[in-house]
Amino acid sequence: MSAPKKDHVGGWHKKLGAMDRMRGLAKYTDDLELPGMLHAKIVRSPHAHARIVSIDASEALALDGVAAVITGRDMPIPYGIIPWTQDENALALDKVLYVGDGVAAVAAIDEDTANEAVRRVKVEYEVLPAIFDPEEALRSDVKINPYSRKGNLTKEVELEFGDVDGALAGSALVIEGEYFFEGTTHAAIEPHCALAKVDPDGLVTVWSATQVPHYLHRELARVLELPARRIRVIQPPLGGAFGGKSEPFDLEFCVAKLAMITNRPVKLLYTREEVFYSHRGRHPMRMRYRTGFDADGRITAVESQTTLDGGAYSSFGLVTTYYSGQLLTAPYGFGTYRFHSRRAYTNKPACGPKRGHGSVQPRFAMEIQLDKAAEALGVDPIELRRRNAIAADDLTINELRIGSTGFLACLDAVERASGWKERRGQLPYGRGLGVAGSTYISGTNYPIYPNEMPQSAVQVTLDRSGRARIFSGASDIGQGSDTMVAVIVGEELGLPLEDVRVLSADTDLCPVDLGAYSSRITLMVGNACLNAAQELRRKVQGSVAKRWGVEKSRVVLADRQAIDREDPSRAVPITQAIEWAESEHGLLAAAGSYNTPKDRHGSYRGGTIGASPAYSMTAHLAEVEVDDETGEVRVIAIWCAHDCGRAISRGLVEGQIEGSTYMGAAEAVLEVHAVDPAHGGVHAGPSLLDYRLPTALDTPAIHALIVEAPDAQGPYGAKEAGEGPLHSSIPAIANAIYDAVGVRLDELPFTPERVLAALEEKRKRERQSPREKLPLVAQAAEAEE
Amino acid sequence: MSPHPPSLLLTLRVNGLDVEVAAPPHYSLLEVLRYKLHLTGSKQGCDKGDCGACTVQLDGQPVLSCITLAAQAQGREVLTVEGLAGREAHPLQDAMDRFDAAQCGFCTPGILMSAEHLLRTAGREVTHAEAAHAIAGNLCRCTGYTKILDAIVDASTKTGGGR
Amino acid sequence: MLRMPRFALESPETLDDAVALAARGARLVAGGTDLLPNLKHHLERPERLVSLHRLAALRAIALDGDTLRVGCGATLTEIAADPRVRADFPSLAEAAGAVAGPQIRNRATLGGNLHLDTRCRYVNQTELWRSAIGGCLKSEGTVCHVVPKGQNCVAALSSDTVPVLIALDATLVLAGPSGRREVELAKYFTADGLAHTLRQPGEIATEVRVPRPRGPRACAYVKWRPRASIDFPLVSVALRFDLDDERRVTLARVVAGVLGSKPREVEVPATVAGKRLGEVAALVADAAYAKCKPLANVPYDPAYRRHLVRVLTRRAIERLATEPAPGGP
Repeated sequence: MSAPKKDHVGGWHKKLGAMDRMRGLAKYTDDLELPGMLHAKIVRSPHAHARIVSIDASEALALDGVAAVITGRDMPIPYGIIPWTQDENALALDKVLYVGDGVAAVAAIDEDTANEAVRRVKVEYEVLPAIFDPEEALRSDVKINPYSRKGNLTKEVELEFGDVDGALAGSALVIEGEYFFEGTTHAAIEPHCALAKVDPDGLVTVWSATQVPHYLHRELARVLELPARRIRVIQPPLGGAFGGKSEPFDLEFCVAKLAMITNRPVKLLYTREEVFYSHRGRHPMRMRYRTGFDADGRITAVESQTTLDGGAYSSFGLVTTYYSGQLLTAPYGFGTYRFHSRRAYTNKPACGPKRGHGSVQPRFAMEIQLDKAAEALGVDPIELRRRNAIAADDLTINELRIGSTGFLACLDAVERASGWKERRGQLPYGRGLGVAGSTYISGTNYPIYPNEMPQSAVQVTLDRSGRARIFSGASDIGQGSDTMVAVIVGEELGLPLEDVRVLSADTDLCPVDLGAYSSRITLMVGNACLNAAQELRRKVQGSVAKRWGVEKSRVVLADRQAIDREDPSRAVPITQAIEWAESEHGLLAAAGSYNTPKDRHGSYRGGTIGASPAYSMTAHLAEVEVDDETGEVRVIAIWCAHDCGRAISRGLVEGQIEGSTYMGAAEAVLEVHAVDPAHGGVHAGPSLLDYRLPTALDTPAIHALIVEAPDAQGPYGAKEAGEGPLHSSIPAIANAIYDAVGVRLDELPFTPERVLAALEEKRKRERQSPREKLPLVAQAAEAEE
Repeated sequence: MSPHPPSLLLTLRVNGLDVEVAAPPHYSLLEVLRYKLHLTGSKQGCDKGDCGACTVQLDGQPVLSCITLAAQAQGREVLTVEGLAGREAHPLQDAMDRFDAAQCGFCTPGILMSAEHLLRTAGREVTHAEAAHAIAGNLCRCTGYTKILDAIVDASTKTGGGR
Repeated sequence: MLRMPRFALESPETLDDAVALAARGARLVAGGTDLLPNLKHHLERPERLVSLHRLAALRAIALDGDTLRVGCGATLTEIAADPRVRADFPSLAEAAGAVAGPQIRNRATLGGNLHLDTRCRYVNQTELWRSAIGGCLKSEGTVCHVVPKGQNCVAALSSDTVPVLIALDATLVLAGPSGRREVELAKYFTADGLAHTLRQPGEIATEVRVPRPRGPRACAYVKWRPRASIDFPLVSVALRFDLDDERRVTLARVVAGVLGSKPREVEVPATVAGKRLGEVAALVADAAYAKCKPLANVPYDPAYRRHLVRVLTRRAIERLATEPAPGGP
């Protein structure tokens, strides 16, 4: 076969549509313009908690060029991504719940006029007490979210597996720690944007920078009170998401409603400030952990108590609360496990799912606990992790069925690539190495809204031009899912990528896919695509075999040809093969569906949450330099080995590993998403100047190492790669800082102030206890004895 | 009649062609490119000069078009991402494509404009450190910069020799 | 996107025309990299801007006997790369090259950087954000959020080049309706964050004059920021040591920025005279620490930034001690 390797599964592919984007030709949402289009802006609250006494839009409406003003009363039906916690309105009805909450929206002839109209909308507020601390919110009688049923508690989960107290009592070592994660946001470079138009026949089309067109479709129907068939959602090329575009936002409802009212197309582009207010970023969590070990370092018990700061709305919070405990039970086996997590409403921008949803924060805590234990037990931190690694097909303590695991291979890979064995303990003071491991889901076995339909579906057609077309509901958000499905179809049908067209994320053209979240697309859409492509392949093979009078199994599709496996001199172009097949079968079209296994989850209430068809495994090893006089941490390099089952497209998998590792490193040392309680809860700095994303000069060297432990559930064995490789990036850095200068950083981020304070604390301790003055190497040698 | 200050009639040389465009004085160069000339390849990410997605070249120098007054480009050469390729992709575009260096692609136009300046002024193979300094005013959220820097260095081996 | 308020714009071709227009009460704009973000935040709503970009004469960099003359229209990129600046005034090249990111340095001018508006975490925000805290002395309010009960705005001088040029004894030439004047930069700035320079209405800064060193000299610019690019300085100290032929200190100047609105000249103990750089590092650093008390007007803990003033100043001097002194006849 002469088909170039690059077009095969496991090869390296140029991303579909990348050149279009690099030439400035791709039309992202804000690049779209329609005739007669109006521009919309949202009036936002300057108060963190207030009752809306009145809204007077008369001065705005009197302004030349203003077409319409809407308020919450125009769309009073609440919505929410999780059907059980629909606690948001497109615009506030009676109360605003955080600084930046939407109150009214205007549509005008241009942006300047819309902005002026926003200034002229007079809103009278009665300011209410605001709460910014989740523990205080749980104690308070002030109810923040009007739809809440349990005060300010949005979700509470308490699960116990085995006799934790007994196991802790019998443990050779118990490590206790309290950890705090302050919160970060996605900060995709493309701000949210939506455009709507209404056709003369009443069809409402919404273009949106979303990663969940299907859920947006459903919620638009609900809030606009239209049948779903009257709404079409299109996701144009997307400028990054990371979970920040994985549920409906006010702008999508507003443009649709304003387009319906004005009968003109309406566009709304968030300012960067509004992106920070819409948030849905990683939850602040305070986590208290007790972890028991036996004398060999095996984990006997894990006990955690976690408070999640949810902000003003539930978002995905029900799931986050479960994930804060449920996703911790691999890659290590736990003897017993108990977690208790509570999520509170506060008067802040709502938190939600950011890359590594719900499990990045507990992973931070857990991996530092392990590092502390390794030191106490005098065991190499990698060795301690090896001893606790679960095996393929194990059932975790909370009854998750682990399929394949390449975790040990991940540990081996980072150990080898970083020179851990030779270098650890040999580095000068101020320089250190740290390791951490993690796991993540490849989608969830149970969808967000209960139903038994497939989670993913595609249609694939072949036509006589020799071209395959894939109609896929999946959202390519930059991760390259369009390329992934094209590789699969190309592999099965022997076509180069350039002969495969992908039409995706358009609810009129494509079958339903649930969207780009929970790292589900490769496994789920990949499987659906594989099914459809194989069905087509069999049809083409059959028709060719019939013409040639040979067994079907002798026909191979490769390199744009149908070839006789036993006599490679016999071959026809794929166009001929398709013509024969189309003549025999009619249009060559196949629908492929994928639904998750429903027998792989815990047998207890909540046991379905965290259950996935397959789990990725990751190990990070970080090298840092700590300036012990300034407290500055420089992350020099991170090695990340990630078990993605099978890399369908190596460059894309590496890109996910690199991007995830970078994002984790950024959360470790730079990024903080917070409000200022001393100033009424204003955002601490809603701009890309004050919320600091690392530049190329601030980013460590990242070494992506692909590990492949194929999983029976995944297409060609593939699992996820988009989120797992973020998790252990953060604790690996924390552990490296400890190796470098001997201080534990249990609060994120590791700002220079915090590091310096920890160093000073340590120096104070050392002055009191001279024994600790021993160099770290000597201490370690003592511990070994 | 509108009480607003009158629009300015600007003559710009954009991607090698003279264009005339009328724009109110308070328009940034990015707004004129995107809204008036429909050159939407230059992106708006942060509103105010913090992210680099709007980077274009003005008389051969990378600048942030979102905080450059359009009127100050009067009579000058503006190069946007749309003007980078000839019949063939620019070596930087080709390298970024081969290295899978663009994920969402939203920062990419700006990065290309910064990197092109580096390659053109260096006229030789550049180092990773030089590439990182050249794009230090361009934020990317997807890639961790790894493949972008690799691609810039690779492209410089193809543009460096002939100058 | 964030939009600027409407304004009229004039782009004069001669300095006289520009002065005449400025005298009628217009806001000046050169590269615009500071003004445009502030306009997008509606911190100012000028009716008219006068753009200086066509005044080619302001862009020259020239050696004039014992003086380097840098036109206020020269860009920071040009200054950072200029061989004469690099040879005689490495700290100026360093400071100019450390401003923001590359694209901004390609537009930002020396005149603009000298007149960079003072910055504060409670000011450089959107209208909505500021309205949530009721504004402040520098915006729409009447209180200061940095110094409670403070009557003066203490927004931070955030220019990288100002402390350096003061340390180098630079002067500034201004052209105004009543002619030209030359002022010492050391006396040009005030402690009023609302109007922190002595530029008079209608005046246009045309040129900075920096006397060339008469003997060996060691200079450095200390800038601390969380990221290696883009960020404004959160700690800034300019250092200048004139040395004798034995490399002993004859004169020490230490000027700090990012405190309040006025740069702070740190009085260096007389005992440094006659000592070698390596011997004075801690002494000078301690003096800087004693005199510099950062405020909560910019991010990162003030006490931490004060600590950095000491550590980074000491290190910079130690580094200078090991380098051959540039300059000198």
